[in-house]
Amino acid sequence: MDFLFNLRWDIIWNYRDLFLQGIWITIVLTVCGYIGGVIFGVFLGLGKTSKRKWIYWPCKLYVDLFRGTPLLVQILIIHLALIPSIFGQSLGVMFSGIAALILNSAAYNAEIFRAGIESIDKGQTEAARSLGLTQGQAMRKVILPQAFRRMVPPLGNEFIALLKDSSLVMVIAVNDILYAAKVVAGAYQRFWEPYLTAAVLYLVLTYVVTKLVAYVERRFSIDYNPRKNKEGRVAR
Amino acid sequence: MIKIENLHKTFGKLEVLKGIDCEIKEKEVVCVIGPSGSGKSTFLRCINLLEEITDGAVYIGGAQVNDLKTNINDIRTEVGMVFQQFNLFPHMSVIDNVTMAPMLIRKINKKAAEEQALELLAKVGLKEKAYNYPQQLSGGQQQRVAIARALAMKPKVMLFDEPTSALDPEMVQEVLDVMKQLAKEGMTMVVVTHEMGFAREVADRVIFMDGGYIVEQGLPSEIFSNPQNDRTKAFLGKIL
Repeated sequence: MDFLFNLRWDIIWNYRDLFLQGIWITIVLTVCGYIGGVIFGVFLGLGKTSKRKWIYWPCKLYVDLFRGTPLLVQILIIHLALIPSIFGQSLGVMFSGIAALILNSAAYNAEIFRAGIESIDKGQTEAARSLGLTQGQAMRKVILPQAFRRMVPPLGNEFIALLKDSSLVMVIAVNDILYAAKVVAGAYQRFWEPYLTAAVLYLVLTYVVTKLVAYVERRFSIDYNPRKNKEGRVAR
Repeated sequence: MIKIENLHKTFGKLEVLKGIDCEIKEKEVVCVIGPSGSGKSTFLRCINLLEEITDGAVYIGGAQVNDLKTNINDIRTEVGMVFQQFNLFPHMSVIDNVTMAPMLIRKINKKAAEEQALELLAKVGLKEKAYNYPQQLSGGQQQRVAIARALAMKPKVMLFDEPTSALDPEMVQEVLDVMKQLAKEGMTMVVVTHEMGFAREVADRVIFMDGGYIVEQGLPSEIFSNPQNDRTKAFLGKIL
């Protein structure tokens, strides 16, 4: 265990700006990727519950494609092939990175939304429709508010997964946390310090997010019974 | 009020309704009885198109329900429905359950909607539960809220799909009492039920269904005391 006593944390300190920038970039990647992924995922998920084949099948194909291939491959295809083909040039690694994370997490979120919507009893839709609500109104007023409570825990997990997966965009040289570690490792030919630092930084971030998700869960994933709320019981 | 012509309904290969003809007049209370699997619930659910109609036609107030040109949502606002499983919205308080549709569809303001809701809840005897949530109510209370919710749209017809079948026995009567009151006030009602006492006392007409057909119909006194058809006799013999 000698190495533990010979660690040179000064090299991390020398590169602190690069790591701080890396933290910021990782946060931007994750937050943008997540928000975009949730919005896009809602539509995909609704599409997957559609009875119309021309809506259902493209959504299903999309979800299967993005869930069935590695994110790393998707990042490379999007940055090196897809975006240059569409726009004639690269739009920068940050754009490609965020785009890849949005497109990928949307596929996972779509499944969460689909499962959440389908978990609500059919009688709820029937009751709403029998009152004269349109399909859209029934969805907004009756189904989604109930489904959302059930989606909070898996959507929280998805956020944490995305935070960690965002490190894969290093492969197209986005300057996130892992990129900073790699630069330091290359400069000093020392590996323990930079990669351990990266690991700890991710750990701190995921810990903060876990706490955040737990708070949101307590706040939203409540039983409808107000008496039980005070005891902090979670939804059925 | 309601006219049903040669109504057929198939689920896959299973033909559940095999040609139903029936007319329901304004202010009439019709009880539909019959063994399980006879198609009574499906028949009821075809009236407001909760089930797609395979063949035939249903008219409500002159408009054909299963015509693509008809806006089914408009028709459904005129047809209240009460379900076996209540289907209250669990994420809303009792009063919100009752005010939601009138505010959303009839566009009446919150204050008027709540006044109306409290009146209706008083009518079903649950005014003091207005700000509770459905889970805090017993089955019978939930079903009475469901009736108030349907009435809030001021429907011309009320459909009841076995409204007391999911209730504990001691709660059946409170729901039947509300329904009796409605019938007295002149509401047009179609009630699928196993409550023969209710049918005998309240119905203007009893329809006996079996195997996807209307086998026999008539005054409750005729059907219960002097059934003509053998299948009606067999069914009533088993349950009375």
